[in-house]
Amino acid sequence: MSRVSRESVEDALFRAGYWLLFAVIMLPIVVVFVTSFQQGEYLTFPPSEYSLRWYGEFFASEEWLSAVVDSATIGIGASVLATVLGVTGSLAVQRSDSVLTRVLPPIILLPLLLPPVVIGLTLLIYVNRIGLTSAYLNIVVAHTLWATPLVFFVMQSVFARFDWDLRDAGMDLGGRPSRVFYHVVLPNVRSGVVISAVIAFIVSLQEFIMALFLKSYYVKTVPVLAWTSLESSLTPMVSVVSAFLVLASIVGVLVAAAVMNMEWLAKQL
Amino acid sequence: MATESMFAWLGRRIKSQDTGSVMLVAPLAAFELLFFVVPFLILVRMSLNESAQAGPYESGLTLDAYRSVLDSGLYHDLVFFSFKLGVIATTIAVLLALFYSYAAYRATGFRKSLLLFSIILPLLTTLVVKTYAWRPLLAPNGVLNDVLMGIGLTSSPIQFAPGMFGTVVGQVYIVFPYAVLAIYSVLSTMDWDTVEAARDLGASRPRSFLEVVVPEALPGIAVATVVSFAWSVGAYAAPSQLGSGQQTTFAMEIENLMLTAFDWPAGAAFSLLMLGGMLVVSLAIMRLFTGSIGGVQDV
Amino acid sequence: MASVTLSDLRKEYGDLTAVDGLDLDVDDGELLCLLGPSGCGKSTTLRMLGGLETPTDGDVHIDGEPVTDQPPYERNTSMVFQSWALFPHKSVLENVAFGLKMDGVGSDEREERAREMLEVVEMSEFAESDPEDLSGGQKQRVALARSLAIEPDVLLLDEPLSNLDKRLREQMQLELRNIHDAVETTFVHVTHDQNEAFTLADSIAIMNNGQIEQIGAPREVYDDPVSLFIEEFLGDTNLVDATVASVTDDGVVADTAFDAEIEVPTGDAAVAEDDALTLSFRPEELDVARASDADGGATVESEPTTALTGDITDVLYRGSSVRFYVDIAGESLFFEQSVGADTEFSVGDTVEVSWHPSDLLAFTGDGERVGRGGE
Repeated sequence: MSRVSRESVEDALFRAGYWLLFAVIMLPIVVVFVTSFQQGEYLTFPPSEYSLRWYGEFFASEEWLSAVVDSATIGIGASVLATVLGVTGSLAVQRSDSVLTRVLPPIILLPLLLPPVVIGLTLLIYVNRIGLTSAYLNIVVAHTLWATPLVFFVMQSVFARFDWDLRDAGMDLGGRPSRVFYHVVLPNVRSGVVISAVIAFIVSLQEFIMALFLKSYYVKTVPVLAWTSLESSLTPMVSVVSAFLVLASIVGVLVAAAVMNMEWLAKQL
Repeated sequence: MATESMFAWLGRRIKSQDTGSVMLVAPLAAFELLFFVVPFLILVRMSLNESAQAGPYESGLTLDAYRSVLDSGLYHDLVFFSFKLGVIATTIAVLLALFYSYAAYRATGFRKSLLLFSIILPLLTTLVVKTYAWRPLLAPNGVLNDVLMGIGLTSSPIQFAPGMFGTVVGQVYIVFPYAVLAIYSVLSTMDWDTVEAARDLGASRPRSFLEVVVPEALPGIAVATVVSFAWSVGAYAAPSQLGSGQQTTFAMEIENLMLTAFDWPAGAAFSLLMLGGMLVVSLAIMRLFTGSIGGVQDV
Repeated sequence: MASVTLSDLRKEYGDLTAVDGLDLDVDDGELLCLLGPSGCGKSTTLRMLGGLETPTDGDVHIDGEPVTDQPPYERNTSMVFQSWALFPHKSVLENVAFGLKMDGVGSDEREERAREMLEVVEMSEFAESDPEDLSGGQKQRVALARSLAIEPDVLLLDEPLSNLDKRLREQMQLELRNIHDAVETTFVHVTHDQNEAFTLADSIAIMNNGQIEQIGAPREVYDDPVSLFIEEFLGDTNLVDATVASVTDDGVVADTAFDAEIEVPTGDAAVAEDDALTLSFRPEELDVARASDADGGATVESEPTTALTGDITDVLYRGSSVRFYVDIAGESLFFEQSVGADTEFSVGDTVEVSWHPSDLLAFTGDGERVGRGGE
């Protein structure tokens, strides 16, 4: 075979390879959306008949709607907490090189490397021992353990690109550190903070293993409820719920992209 | 005189940057201490308690929990299977991730965005979706079987799921995006000129990939391997949804011990043993990789 | 305006000593340049003056008041940064008004004073502009206006001109001088560029290895350097090794690498036979003439000489001047002439280079100046 035709075969195989992978990756997402519009009782793909029946049942179901509220509440809680902890921690690490700031990043990262089952069980034992009975708080804590490292590392890269001379200039011109942070640092890292908060929210929304361990009778997040419903039967309701979860993620990604582009746009105008 | 300068020095330290940083890092440090470090210590303490008939545990100081885990043949099987799943899923996921990362690295424009989007989206999607959605695809009456029978490769349905195949597919699907992220972030810092130089010196395209790209990507591959392995050994969602009774992992047993059988000391002991095992293997993996990064290459 | 006194200032970073026991006095209203090579500690010293770094030891006094432990926002100093550090998310006017805002000045008064300041630096028309849209020279002016707006006692400048190209830099140096004369504030200006220091300064402090080697008016420092480091740093010169052959009443006779003995005035300095010296033959002090009516040999018997003969080996055109390299007994000496001078030399010409002994500068093996005027 000539070199050219060998190369074009290589190219074709290469391209076929990653598009095939792409299709396989998107397949479950497609399944979710398509089957959410299914008519029948038992989930099949592709469905034989389509309808909005299950969407209707979702909006009529108290159980599901209450799960949505629980998920949103916990998501906001975890997002706020993780963002505050991640931003302050990242700032501290940037500014000083003490023992504490050197030992903290690996500790923050550790929860991401442990199986979520282990974290779930550890926290279950813990909250039981110290008497923390609010499932809301418990799940917020668990999700914060996971979301904080993400916020931390996003902010690390944001702060690394920040010109710290600006802070020196602010203080030199008479601003106390907190005022300088508000007037000089924050406006420049705002988009990083927003993106971190969005990521934290979505991570909390989607997490289910730790939420499974820490749930109570009254407090169940959407993924947990979906999971437990799967144990009884596989109905399109799961797909409806999942479709909303995936949509939430897509919206999150778009919001993050918009925030980044917004800044760029604002500069152009 | 000496004390005066000592106070001056102290005053200086207090006024300096460092105090601000300590106050800044205090909330995070306190949080991690209270909700990660201490719970862990309590976990260790729990593993030394006694199992109880009426309730999750009974206070005590015994190694019974560890003994029951280490002695049980069932648990040996679980551990073995968990590690086996870990190895299989990790190997497949990392190899595929290497390929996909490379493709994303080489792509430009819209195609690149599309490929990266296809990684980011699953990253932000719940495990529930990533596992259950495979059931209608891999079930005996599912899409894959329909296709295979339709094109005549098989005559009767194969049970891809529930079963080992389904479990592996689900687990690979779960860890794949993380592996791609790890490898891609290292690849994106690579200098393409080095690959072109290799080709210029006579290496074929696949060869230049092996000789130049892979070694450069090694740190990312190492991270991808450790992360995928940790998650796959501790797999819960995929084997639950897509596995038959034979695909039971340690994580599933933990859930059973904690929430159904209410044997918390055993759960704690089992977790700690597994964590220990995973740590050892992860360190070995890292040693293996960093060894080949730092060592003398064969010429 | 205010005077500045730094006493025994020290800054250590772990094992690294950046500033090593530095003493400095800056007069009220003076423009002092801190001059030195990269890494000599001049920026660190400036930052300690401004409160952006805390000294490991030593004191800073401004106008007689100790401010060593005061944070930057309490000191009445202001810094112009090398990268200018303009706030990107604020307009030019908001940048200049920032210090006033931190001071609690009302919005209307702030704006008025900021606009006044912009007029002084001739940037009024850019008041609403985005700092990112400005050129280097414009940013520099805004940074200056921003720092002067709070009417500091001492203005600190951390090489703010080093990012500008040559022409602009020289223009800005003159403007800076004019602004200094107009606002009568004490300026402390850090730079590594000797020309810049000479243009701007009332007084120059030359730093090396965390300490000040010499302070004085530019002329004084140039004519009467206290060490070999300064002699080398301030300009191009010819350095020649020598050994003391014999001591005379007001100097020594030294054996040089030119294979000739040369008379060197060393005043009362303690030099003995066989001491090693480094001699500086400044190119501008050398007289050069064609050796057409040469005596022939390089030396006149054993008498110390004030003239040497050699051949021109290289001619370097440098725009408005020409540099000639002369080989004398294996050693190379250079001198310069402006283009269009009466005598034109070419490679291969034999020339006689002569000088006056009192124009020579001598330094010991340790780099210390020997026989300074009045020492």
